[in-house]
Amino acid sequence: MTGPHHLRLLNSRQPAPAAQADESSAVTRSVLVHAARGGDVRAFAGLVDVYYARCLRFALHMLSSRSDAEEAVQDTFVRVYRALPKYEEREAFEPWLFRILANRCRSAGARERRHAELVEYGDVPERSVASGHDDAIAWREEIGLALSALPDEQREAFLMRHVEDLSYEDMSVATGAGVSALKMRVKRACDALRARLTEVGP
Amino acid sequence: MIDDRDEMIDRIAGVLRPLPVVDDSAKARVLVAVAAERERDREQATRRTQRRAGSSMRWTIAVGSLAAAAVFGAFVLRTRPQVGGIAAASVAPSPTLPHAQLAARNEASEADAASESVQFVFRAPAASTVRVVGDFNAWDKGRAPMMRDSGSGLWSLTLALRPGRHVYAFVVDDTLWTRDPRAAAAPDADFGRPGSVLLVGRP
Repeated sequence: MTGPHHLRLLNSRQPAPAAQADESSAVTRSVLVHAARGGDVRAFAGLVDVYYARCLRFALHMLSSRSDAEEAVQDTFVRVYRALPKYEEREAFEPWLFRILANRCRSAGARERRHAELVEYGDVPERSVASGHDDAIAWREEIGLALSALPDEQREAFLMRHVEDLSYEDMSVATGAGVSALKMRVKRACDALRARLTEVGP
Repeated sequence: MIDDRDEMIDRIAGVLRPLPVVDDSAKARVLVAVAAERERDREQATRRTQRRAGSSMRWTIAVGSLAAAAVFGAFVLRTRPQVGGIAAASVAPSPTLPHAQLAARNEASEADAASESVQFVFRAPAASTVRVVGDFNAWDKGRAPMMRDSGSGLWSLTLALRPGRHVYAFVVDDTLWTRDPRAAAAPDADFGRPGSVLLVGRP
């Protein structure tokens, strides 16, 4: 299982005519996916290494606590591990990964909301006052608040499009929604963010 | 629709885009969770095979005696020292071959340019301590205690090891030395104790 299987692949697989660094790292990633799919533990650890920070970024923006976000990312990788044998390599890996991640974040978000109802009056996070704050920090907090005020579907679509740079086709794979519905969600999210943040911008 | 992108959206995205700082232990926990999953699969497969062979009685006895010894097997997972996840991967400056790029990511680690993080995972639900000993810590039992993952009965520890051949073993409850049953046995284990071979940074 931990044999040199993926190393052989790394050496023998024809690299893309790598005009860009992006392309060659895409090849690295697809080789890692291929080897991990074959049961190579070291390659799976490589996938975790490559994708962890990005998954956590998405989860942190979708959920309100860091521990919930880390748990959602961990669940995501366990599910990726279980589902890898079913993953077909002609599909792109990233939208497939984001489908699992977005699902985990939705479930965790629902749990967070149930919990929030229980502590509704005891533990409301205070809205920070901009005075006495660094402007950049205040701006970041405003963005966080505006983002968390969006409906989940819109927040998810906005992040996938403008932070994760997924194409609408990839987003469709990741969410199961159609391209035109996704465009509408992104547009609504942008309108709401613009309306809320125009007044408070730095 | 031209994607709604304007200066305001770019500024918002610019604030949201930086990757979070990731604690290496968070990645290690992911690998432990996946290792627990692998172990469950393995056990189920064993059970199925045993059942098919009609030797369920022998299987029960075997598990019983293993449980008494508190040793269920072990394996090694490796991670490379991180340099910012995907950001580092996608801004690599030159169109290098993939394996060369992995090497470059190694070199960027600040702790020890040449070392590689090796995660040791050992299953021993009934143990109260498990330690890793090897040539890399002078076979000193005090140096590398493993952490227990309460849900799965797995013990794990991540060490930064220099490239090359290492010999190691696990010490369960301070007394039981055992080699890693999933790795090659070392014929030349120190002190005449059982040991396993680990190759770090294979070419």
